[in-house]
Amino acid sequence: MNLQLWRHEVRRAGRVAWIAPPVTAAGVVLLAVVDRSDGAAGRDALRNLFAALELALPLIAGVLAASLVGRDPAAELLLTTPVRYRTVLLRRLTVIVGWTAATALAAAAVLIPAGRWEHGPVAGQLVWLAPTLWLAAAGWLAAAVLRSPGAAGGIVAVLWLLQQVLGGPIQDSRAGRLLYLFASTRGADPGDWAGNRAVLLGTAAGLGAAAWVLLGRAERLVHTAVTE
Amino acid sequence: MTAALRYECRMMLRKRSMWIALGLITLLLAGSSAAQWRDLFHDGDARRVMGSVALLLNIFLPAGYGCLIADRLVRDDRLGVAPVLDATPASPAGRLAGKYLGVCAAVVLPMALLYFGWAVPYAAVTGGWPAVGWALAGFATVLLPAVLVVGAFALAVPLLIPAPLFRVLFVGYWFWGNSITADVMPTLAQSVLTPIGAYPLALFGVEGVIAGPQPGATLNFLRPEVTTATAGLSIGLLLVLAALTLCAAHAVRARTTR
Amino acid sequence: MRIDITGLTKRYRGGVAALDGLDLTVPTGMFGLLGANGAGKTTLMRILAGLLHPTAGEVRVGGHDVTTRAGRRAVQRTLGYLPQDVGVYPDLTAREFLDYVALLKGLDDGPSRRRRVGELLEVVGLTSEAGRRLKGYSGGMRRRVGIAQALLADPRLLIVDEPTAGLDPEERIRFRTLLAQLAGDRTVLLSTHIVDDVAQTCRELAVLSAGRQVFRGTVAELTREADGHVWSVVTQGPAPAGTVVSAVPEESGMRYRVVAADRPGADAEPLRPTLEDGYLALNLRTRPAAPAR
Repeated sequence: MNLQLWRHEVRRAGRVAWIAPPVTAAGVVLLAVVDRSDGAAGRDALRNLFAALELALPLIAGVLAASLVGRDPAAELLLTTPVRYRTVLLRRLTVIVGWTAATALAAAAVLIPAGRWEHGPVAGQLVWLAPTLWLAAAGWLAAAVLRSPGAAGGIVAVLWLLQQVLGGPIQDSRAGRLLYLFASTRGADPGDWAGNRAVLLGTAAGLGAAAWVLLGRAERLVHTAVTE
Repeated sequence: MTAALRYECRMMLRKRSMWIALGLITLLLAGSSAAQWRDLFHDGDARRVMGSVALLLNIFLPAGYGCLIADRLVRDDRLGVAPVLDATPASPAGRLAGKYLGVCAAVVLPMALLYFGWAVPYAAVTGGWPAVGWALAGFATVLLPAVLVVGAFALAVPLLIPAPLFRVLFVGYWFWGNSITADVMPTLAQSVLTPIGAYPLALFGVEGVIAGPQPGATLNFLRPEVTTATAGLSIGLLLVLAALTLCAAHAVRARTTR
Repeated sequence: MRIDITGLTKRYRGGVAALDGLDLTVPTGMFGLLGANGAGKTTLMRILAGLLHPTAGEVRVGGHDVTTRAGRRAVQRTLGYLPQDVGVYPDLTAREFLDYVALLKGLDDGPSRRRRVGELLEVVGLTSEAGRRLKGYSGGMRRRVGIAQALLADPRLLIVDEPTAGLDPEERIRFRTLLAQLAGDRTVLLSTHIVDDVAQTCRELAVLSAGRQVFRGTVAELTREADGHVWSVVTQGPAPAGTVVSAVPEESGMRYRVVAADRPGADAEPLRPTLEDGYLALNLRTRPAAPAR
């Protein structure tokens, strides 16, 4: 593993990737502190933070993963180096998911001792890990298929909103329950939680693998269709 | 302005990725709420049904489109087209308005295809032809204002923040400003500033749509009783919001290109 | 490193044939590739660089078959590639960008990589600007960064697509001299539509038109294509028949330099052809006839 190369990829991730996860986590805590509405009575800042790990961080990872393909000004150059371009993209995805994970772990380090944690300190990490990997893989695949950060981001946005808004109808079927991203905070059936997390991880691997295959075709990634 | 409108719309409609994304989103939407769509198709209350369909489309599609069109204005700078266009006699304000309307037209067209594509078979089988009239009303009062607001935000805000950050924030805003129950936390949902159109939708009698004052909610001054007048006020305020956002975009562009 | 191309065809979606059964051999050394826009040059470059897959035909670079994955990888290990539109990361400095590309090219040893980057910054004349972010660079400076990255791994094959576009005259001369110096035991494939760049650096060249090779030979041979077809005509009337190479206003009228199959007028004076004239004469001879209206 070349640390120098990782150092470059860490910089390539951009400010948004670094700022968004911790600022989001801080934002939900702040919201709970200032919230004076009746519904806030049953919640507190730490409860908000726990929910944000499953609800908000995956959205950030998904949208950023969707932005990985289609706006790289040096793509044509990098496609001609001996390192495969999809490996470069995988490194960038790892940086995005890795930093999101670091933010989530930092939050967990606060929530676990405070007793605001569920499903155990280790298995409970799947609260955020499973949906984060799933939406990141979905965003990456959408990026590989569409090669447009806007369109791929749109897919991630709608996926996330569908799961938020139609959580009830989606969980009417067992398949829907197993594929529901927010089963920890908004899941209907606690008995399905472990299965749900396993299915999310498995399908995330499938989505990621499909993206990996598509990104191996250099020709799709050369920006413009050339006729010269 | 007309030329900017025409060509922006044409460029957008030529984006294959937009149509593929729309196809995928339609499949996701149909798959996630198949039973709901089936029930709606067999419901004889055309007004409520067309309002419900407008709501279902409006919760999801504008958010997707907001992400899709987030770079349309900054794209001109990235591609180096901006200086060329700035050197033409066309006024920057007119070009911006044309671009905005072109983007909105390109977004509205597929939404109209989906909405009326559903309305016409529904009218023929269940709802009768008045359903088409309700569909037109739903399109004009619910879908169109939402697209106009989204279009303005998506063009203006990425002038100030990177497009990926806008996408994340915009999706969060869309959920927070439309779908959160008002007594849970401070939100613009269920108010006259709800972009999915809670007030006009309430007049359609759509189930589950809440608008108007909510006991225990903050910002209730934005939630007058639902009447035809307040629904009109809501649409008017959304259009003013869109116009103000565009004016801000124009001011930002003028400052950066000066 | 020799390149052998046989029956190379590339069709894009919609059936557009950018290359149409191209046969071409490129020996070690500096080799020019001329052609109008749309002739298929960039497509050929991209196939050689492993970016595009041919629809049909065989391409061997130094014995490696670039239509296979293993062949492409082998070629890419010895390749320096400067695309027509060189893209850089605007938030990096030139030194950082070159360091990043060098790492991707396998230059893992830190000190020798930094030394190599420093040498190349010197070669392209950017040492004093190396700490500035690329977003502040002019088009020509970015092009020089592109040239430097192409040379990072001491490539045996250097593919440069329109390398002098956007450079000022001094930079252009400097760069093409550098390319010629590099050629020695390497293959340098120079694709351009600037005829003078080829005239000043290459001994051998090929001309592409509509995806096919229409000429393969030396610079002198291409120049001879225009023997007896280059004329100087001074007139106050319309431009003479043929391809106008230049038009200079004079007191007695406009002095035209034209390439024409036949003498354009009784007072036309024959001129000694240049490579540009040869290229134009070849175009006159090989260009498909315009369809009758």
